[in-house]
Amino acid sequence: MKSPKERLAGIRTQRSEIENHLIDELRAQRLDRRGFITHAARLGMGIPLAGFIATACAERDSLEDADEPNTDAPQQGGTLRVGGQTPSGALNPLLVGDQGGLTVLGQTGEYLTWSDGELALQPRLAEKWTPNEDGSVWTFNIRQGVTFHDGRPLTARDVTAAFDRMANPETGGNALSALTGVISPGSAVATDDYTVEFNLEAPNGNFPYLTSSDNYNAIIIPADDDPAEWPSTFIGTGPWKLDQSRPDEGFTLVRNPDYWGKQPVAEKIDYTFYGSEQAQILALQGNEVDVLVQFSVSGGKALLTNPDVVTTELRSSAHRQVHMRTDTDQFADKRVRRAMALLLNRSAIVDGLLDTKCELGNDSPFAPVFPSTAEGVAQREQNIDEAKKLLDAAGMADGFSVTLETWTNFEMPDYAQLIQDNARAAGIRVNLSITDAGTYYGDAVYGNSRWLDSTMGITEYGHRGVPNVFLGAPLTTEGTWNGAHFRSEEYDGLVRDYVAALEPEAQTTNAKKIQELLLDESPILFSYFYFFLSGAGSYVSGVETTAMGHADVSHAGII
Amino acid sequence: MRRFILNRILLSILTLVILSILIFLTAQVLPGNVGRAILGPLADQASVDAKNAELGYDRGLFTQYWDWISGVFTGDLGDSAVRSRSVGDILAGAIGNSAKLALLAFIIVVPLAVLGGVYAALKEGTLRDRLISLGGLSATAIPDFVWAVVLITILPLGIGIFKPTATAPPGSNVFEQVYYLILPAICLVFVLFGYIARMARAGTLEALDADYTRTAVIKGLPQRSVIRGHVLRNSLLPTIAVVATQLGYLIGGLVVIEVIFNYNGLGRELLIAAQRNDLPLLQSGVLIVGVVYLVATLVADIMYSVLNPRVRLGAEA
Repeated sequence: MKSPKERLAGIRTQRSEIENHLIDELRAQRLDRRGFITHAARLGMGIPLAGFIATACAERDSLEDADEPNTDAPQQGGTLRVGGQTPSGALNPLLVGDQGGLTVLGQTGEYLTWSDGELALQPRLAEKWTPNEDGSVWTFNIRQGVTFHDGRPLTARDVTAAFDRMANPETGGNALSALTGVISPGSAVATDDYTVEFNLEAPNGNFPYLTSSDNYNAIIIPADDDPAEWPSTFIGTGPWKLDQSRPDEGFTLVRNPDYWGKQPVAEKIDYTFYGSEQAQILALQGNEVDVLVQFSVSGGKALLTNPDVVTTELRSSAHRQVHMRTDTDQFADKRVRRAMALLLNRSAIVDGLLDTKCELGNDSPFAPVFPSTAEGVAQREQNIDEAKKLLDAAGMADGFSVTLETWTNFEMPDYAQLIQDNARAAGIRVNLSITDAGTYYGDAVYGNSRWLDSTMGITEYGHRGVPNVFLGAPLTTEGTWNGAHFRSEEYDGLVRDYVAALEPEAQTTNAKKIQELLLDESPILFSYFYFFLSGAGSYVSGVETTAMGHADVSHAGII
Repeated sequence: MRRFILNRILLSILTLVILSILIFLTAQVLPGNVGRAILGPLADQASVDAKNAELGYDRGLFTQYWDWISGVFTGDLGDSAVRSRSVGDILAGAIGNSAKLALLAFIIVVPLAVLGGVYAALKEGTLRDRLISLGGLSATAIPDFVWAVVLITILPLGIGIFKPTATAPPGSNVFEQVYYLILPAICLVFVLFGYIARMARAGTLEALDADYTRTAVIKGLPQRSVIRGHVLRNSLLPTIAVVATQLGYLIGGLVVIEVIFNYNGLGRELLIAAQRNDLPLLQSGVLIVGVVYLVATLVADIMYSVLNPRVRLGAEA
């Protein structure tokens, strides 16, 4: 029998140049195991293979510390009761833009790839994916023998139709935030019944993530179906299919007997919508549900200390952005923005606001969870003296007044108050304007939105498996969510380079330049990246959540 | 009598017209627009404008108002702006749920509070009177959401009886539904008891002090007959008015209770509609709450006049 080392040598002869380069990086310990698996999966290498290579190559790094989930095997059959947030709008796969809606999409629908809790891509409807040399064309091999719940077969045409719809600006689809500038209608071409070629507008090393559960609108439905009709069918290819829909209250799913993969453990899922976080938490405490998809630190402290509830926390890139208008008023001077950043007591924010269920941010979208985030960039810490010096140099030694806009969402109002308190140390008088979501977002277009027009504001951003969206929409010159009105040709160029890079070290090199530039310019404060928290009764095992908000309960059941 | 009722109905219709105009104009000042609410923040402006035009939101205010109000009369309330359902379907379900909760709360609180108030009046000045009056007032002074949290903590989470949510599982029978609704209903009983009992007490005291009661006593009628035949009939007049005005609150105003107990009632639907800029749902929902208030008040007026002829004679004079 061959040793792992010998088998590795054999494997390397069959892998591409880029993949071999990745293995070299792992052996040289410039990539850890987790980073290697993530990058390998992105390039289309299977997770089991990547895991074997990582084991064979090096002393393995210990994986993430996490609370041990219940590993007892669940019993087959029965009904699992799941509680989730009420979707904020119609369950149209094209338009869903909130956690309540995306969790529903992922129950009966499936993606080409699945971004797991470790941010590694796993095959789902795509069995394999490979880039061309510069990452401008990606070829996906679609799984054969898959059928939709009504018996129609899945083909490449269903995939191209889904991406054409999502990339069409006229539909106003939610996925445009991720796909604009990457693909447009017609970019996805079916070269045969089971192969799709994505011809990108520019090289993109992270493109497979845009086909994954991270781009939660990208479930594949039959090409000829109208997404607006989806709420009445829940049609997809997933392990569950719709049994009964109870609009605004929830739905019941049953096993899909024709599923291509393993059959679900439970017989049935009773999914209940909850309009408030408090109601969800009470439902779990009161044994009304077995699984709670998500809760926040601010609302769910009772669950964290409840011995009857097993909570799971996942590192994520979800965060709050505090933008400062770089084109007008006080913050036009970057020294003032830096001063504001230096006034924040981030440790107090992490401890007090989020009960340590988060990681520190360093004023760039590069969350510690991203493998491409460069190490060695000094963490920004509170330095009131330095802040005062910067304000003095900018001619604002006496401070100034500014209005901070945000809306009542989880801990955001408390965060605003902490900023207000911290800023006072340098004479900056922060007036708070805390409204509802509708007032804050307005029409969500420049000129008619507090979010995009205010001098300073706090906006929430959900998790993504790669930082591309965070780097683009809120910070690039053409960005559609650029509340800071930040414009820098140098930054735009660095982002283009980062997005195009296929090799991990090229991504990290570019990431470092972006991190340093953003620390200098500080158009947006990124103080923390909070964990994704979910909970289940201690008698439940097998629930798999992602930081995006998906809950895969197909392997879950009662112990 | 007929003239009195006709007058009241005409007044109610006039109030309803004014109310509908107010609701329509108020909804127009909410931030955002319907097209944006449907297509989301990422849709380009041209698509949003096209959607607004398709739905008729680019037309003059009067035309929009007329379309809406004539739709109300024909039973076509249009579609929700953000949910792929008709407004009629959403509101029918929500009103049904609110009515169930209101009915249960009424069945418990009205007899309890009336009996309590009458009993307190009959025992005026005693410890029992003070217990009922002050206890009821204290219970009413505590907000409904505080009662909700306290009751949930003690009963379902502490002792393990009743449910922390009010929506029964699909296929539940009437008794199971009542079991799920009992906790929010108790919250409402606490909130309403003091108010109704106070009215019943005051009415009873007034009736006990009236000449006709004194005459009945002097005539030598037994106390039970005096109370049943002379006191109660008159003492309940102000209570009826109070109970009727609470109906509107119970049908459309239980926002916090419905949110805490995750119950799809009309109050919660209106809150969600306002938050999501769902104008078609919001307008029609508020109008229905207005109709409930007006009908309840009308019924109270009619009952009042039946029980007290002076009211209708005064109105007809």
